[in-house]
Amino acid sequence: MKTILTAAAFAVIAAGAAHAYDGTNCRAPGNCWEPKPGYPERIEGTEFDPLHDPKEVSKQGESLQAMDERNAKRVAHFKKTGEFIYDLSKIPAE
Amino acid sequence: MIRHTGLAGAPSRLALIVATAAMGFTAGPALSNDKLVELAKDPANWVMTGRDYNAQNYSPMTEVNKETVKRLRPAWSFSTGVLNGHEGTPLVVGDVMYVHAPFPNTTFALDLNEPGHILWQNKPKQNPTARAVACCDVVNRGLAYWPGDSEVEPLILRTQLDGHIVALDAKTGETRWSMENSDIKVGSTLTIAPYVVKDLVLVGSSGAELGVRGYVTAYDVKTGEQKWRAFSTGPDEDVRLAADFNDANPHYGQKGLGLSTWEGDAWKIGGGTNWGWYAYDPTVDLFYYGSGNPAPWNETMRPGDNKWTMTIWGRKPEDGMAKFGYQKTPHDEWDYAGVNVMMLSDQKDKDGKERKLLTHPDRNGIVYTLDRTNGDLVSADKIDDTVNWTTGVQLDTGLPVRDPEFGTRMDHKATDICPSAMGYHNQGHDSYDPERRLFFMGINHICMDWEPFMLPYRAGQFFVGATLSMYPGPKGDRENALGLGQMKAYDAITGAFKWEVMERFAVWGGTMATAGGVTFYGTLDGFIKARDSDTGDLLWKYKLPSGVIGHPMTYQHDGRQYVAIYYGVGGWPGVGLVFDLADPTAGLGSVGAFRRLQEFTQQGGGVMVFSIDGQSPYSDDVHLGEYEVIQPGQKL
Repeated sequence: MKTILTAAAFAVIAAGAAHAYDGTNCRAPGNCWEPKPGYPERIEGTEFDPLHDPKEVSKQGESLQAMDERNAKRVAHFKKTGEFIYDLSKIPAE
Repeated sequence: MIRHTGLAGAPSRLALIVATAAMGFTAGPALSNDKLVELAKDPANWVMTGRDYNAQNYSPMTEVNKETVKRLRPAWSFSTGVLNGHEGTPLVVGDVMYVHAPFPNTTFALDLNEPGHILWQNKPKQNPTARAVACCDVVNRGLAYWPGDSEVEPLILRTQLDGHIVALDAKTGETRWSMENSDIKVGSTLTIAPYVVKDLVLVGSSGAELGVRGYVTAYDVKTGEQKWRAFSTGPDEDVRLAADFNDANPHYGQKGLGLSTWEGDAWKIGGGTNWGWYAYDPTVDLFYYGSGNPAPWNETMRPGDNKWTMTIWGRKPEDGMAKFGYQKTPHDEWDYAGVNVMMLSDQKDKDGKERKLLTHPDRNGIVYTLDRTNGDLVSADKIDDTVNWTTGVQLDTGLPVRDPEFGTRMDHKATDICPSAMGYHNQGHDSYDPERRLFFMGINHICMDWEPFMLPYRAGQFFVGATLSMYPGPKGDRENALGLGQMKAYDAITGAFKWEVMERFAVWGGTMATAGGVTFYGTLDGFIKARDSDTGDLLWKYKLPSGVIGHPMTYQHDGRQYVAIYYGVGGWPGVGLVFDLADPTAGLGSVGAFRRLQEFTQQGGGVMVFSIDGQSPYSDDVHLGEYEVIQPGQKL
């Protein structure tokens, strides 16, 4: 039993309307966030701008890629020889 | 007559290498999950977290029942040799109990025919820096078992705090392979128990308090080869959404939301780690788990619904593609990390229709029941009537209606929010009794004050940004910091609680139910307790050496039923005691809430095993395992 949300339910609330954020006014399915009264729609350039350093923010992705590459070498040697070696410096070159 | 089980001769590393080389790595039949299902049917075994794929922590055994439980006594015990929190529960396969431990995550195999004998132990070397990036004690939630096939012998799978997933030979304890899953340099650690489905091992993630973007990864159990990885935030291809994702419930949201519900690149450090528990339904071929809280805790720094953090997932094990995702706590403002236990059951709904269900008591104080075939919301009830951040969940839209009075925001100190960040339910693995159709839930009764603050993100450093004070909920004793927990029996269809009782401290470790009509659980103040599953009456308890944060398990050996449980207080509620902290806002706010804990328990670490009248292999034969002088030339 589903209730199909009407277009009205997804209507964007008029900016500046001083109503509290209760999570039920959706701009699209699965997208129902609203700024609280007195808080900005976007924080970039405001006092709440987190000013994230792109170099810091990209470190996790770089670290995952490096780990995956190291693992791939371990797996390749393991599959080829049946011998598992963790330390990459001890895996014989191809 | 002296019986010895003898030392298991561990083959040399070289012999192992030659043997595995000869085996080759051709794809075997994917029958391992069938084997695990078969093994789980035998009450002699407890082969995975939750006992079987339904994750019900339910045993059909009746030797221990309402009448006989009063005669439960310790049969034997084992100290792990380390302190800190001991979460999870041991595994039992045949004649062996596999015991895991907190950092450095040594694994032990004990001989159930002679429990004083350690068959093997595998102690990894880890960088001690890993301890510094663990948010909430150096716990670990358990092991996984893969039953082997025609090519490879059975394996034990272990996660390590330093981010490694490791496969060990179940017979010898030798390391078969070891892969890097998480990097402590960016604050990413592992505390979750691995989970075996078919010939894959699933590994979650930890570190949302350090801004780690969460992911779940599947590895080939035989080789350690990565098969797929699915993130909680970011582009759809990273989140691995199937073409028909949420087609059954489009109002949950579908495509593009992993980016569009965040401002800018905030999703790259957006949390959503999964460090809780899994369940799996072979008939639907989906596995279920929950993603954790968004980062940072300061909500003002991340506008948007922050999908897909705080989400109940149904994914295909083969490729990790998500069939459904339901976000429980859009735009989290309270650290209600949505990683809690998933218990599967088959029940008739209110309309009398037989449904395949999933029940999930969340940190946010709501216990959710979904149709596990497509994600339909069946019920969403408050775990306790004192939950106040929401007035309730709309079943038709799936949206929680927020009470703005109990939201959090910058430049504002919110007070009396219930539940607290520790949730009305945390990592405890609960149980379901299919005969009584009741879920036995270990509950927290803790509320909080919360004030966020701005802070930068630096990879590898904490990224929380909120100061908390926690204390007992309205039904507890706020003045004396006691009455922080509850135990409840819950019907997911009617929403009714069959019974509920208060506990001195949060019931942190979870529960286990049995066909004997008895529900077991451990307490932070150091007891294992047994309650009547129908009435909640306390039938039996025993004072363990230390508080409990794991869940009980039970197995049959030589025709006798044993109940086992870890002791060793710790985890988030124990950080004040474990790390000797006095500031009530320290330990992410838990120190104040649990300031009385040290009056009831100190640290410990081990397994305690019970049976009727304490019978064991040693009471059967007092000479078992005794040292015997060997004459020259005499054979054992």
